[in-house]
Amino acid sequence: MKEFKLNTIPKIESGLKNPEDVYFEKFSENLLEKIGKKEPKTISLFRKRKAIIMMVAAVFVLALTIPLLINQAAHSQEIDTETLENYLSYQSNVNQYDLINALDEEDISNINSNIVLEDNTIEELLISNNNLENYILE
Amino acid sequence: MPDEKEFIQQLLNPKTQNEAFQQLLRTYQKPLYNHIRNIVLNHDDTDDVLQNTFIKVFENLNKFKGESKLFSWMYRIATNEALSFLNQKARKSGISSETLQSKAIDNLQSDVYFDGNEIQIALHRAITTLPEKQQLVFKMKYFQELKYEEISEILGTSVGALKASYHHAVKKIESQLTTN
Repeated sequence: MKEFKLNTIPKIESGLKNPEDVYFEKFSENLLEKIGKKEPKTISLFRKRKAIIMMVAAVFVLALTIPLLINQAAHSQEIDTETLENYLSYQSNVNQYDLINALDEEDISNINSNIVLEDNTIEELLISNNNLENYILE
Repeated sequence: MPDEKEFIQQLLNPKTQNEAFQQLLRTYQKPLYNHIRNIVLNHDDTDDVLQNTFIKVFENLNKFKGESKLFSWMYRIATNEALSFLNQKARKSGISSETLQSKAIDNLQSDVYFDGNEIQIALHRAITTLPEKQQLVFKMKYFQELKYEEISEILGTSVGALKASYHHAVKKIESQLTTN
């Protein structure tokens, strides 16, 4: 059997003939007529500008709302002192010893600086309240 | 095209568009006819696909960004149109794409726009046994004598991969023609 080699034999043409020039002239005419009824899709300047304005507005809205949302989230996590006191006094299992252990040096010094009492007042308190002696010892 | 950028501007400008598009038609209708005909084989089908190709080119001119050459952009549209035309036709007839191509080759001998002999019919039959991409590469290289760089731009495949594809296609066709 003779081996067939595309490179060694003369090139085989496809055999597909192009039609005569008349066909292409008519083709052009028909096509231009068809296209004449159509307009190429163009994006108008107004639509382009409208899109840009919308984008800028969206950025502004985001810029204004994000800090508000962050602030709101931060506030919602804060608990006022009264609520905390009530919780510790009536709801939680935290006792005095736990509280004392939770305080560090800084907290104690803060307490000292916040509570400024006259000597007379302290004496009066000690006289009127017998239980205070126990609290101090603790 | 001497200055493609300028020519594209003329195509986009409503004042010069008509004349520029006529020039585009004059320049590309024959090579694109030839390219599409090699894919779909039948003259009437080629006529339909060629028309759809130019309409698509016209409608999408404003999307052409000039990243590739106008020539390769148009060839890419023509290739896609021809392939989707064949797939659609096969689906409508309820047959496979291979059977459709085989039928088209059967009809070639009675086609007024075909002047081939038995060897050419055998070559076309051998081509239909190749995968779609190899068929495209072989036809573009062997029949249309396009450069690998041009085919690469049209099909979006690297030159190396195209060379390998063409090499495999030639081997398979030679083997097919030897056994027949």
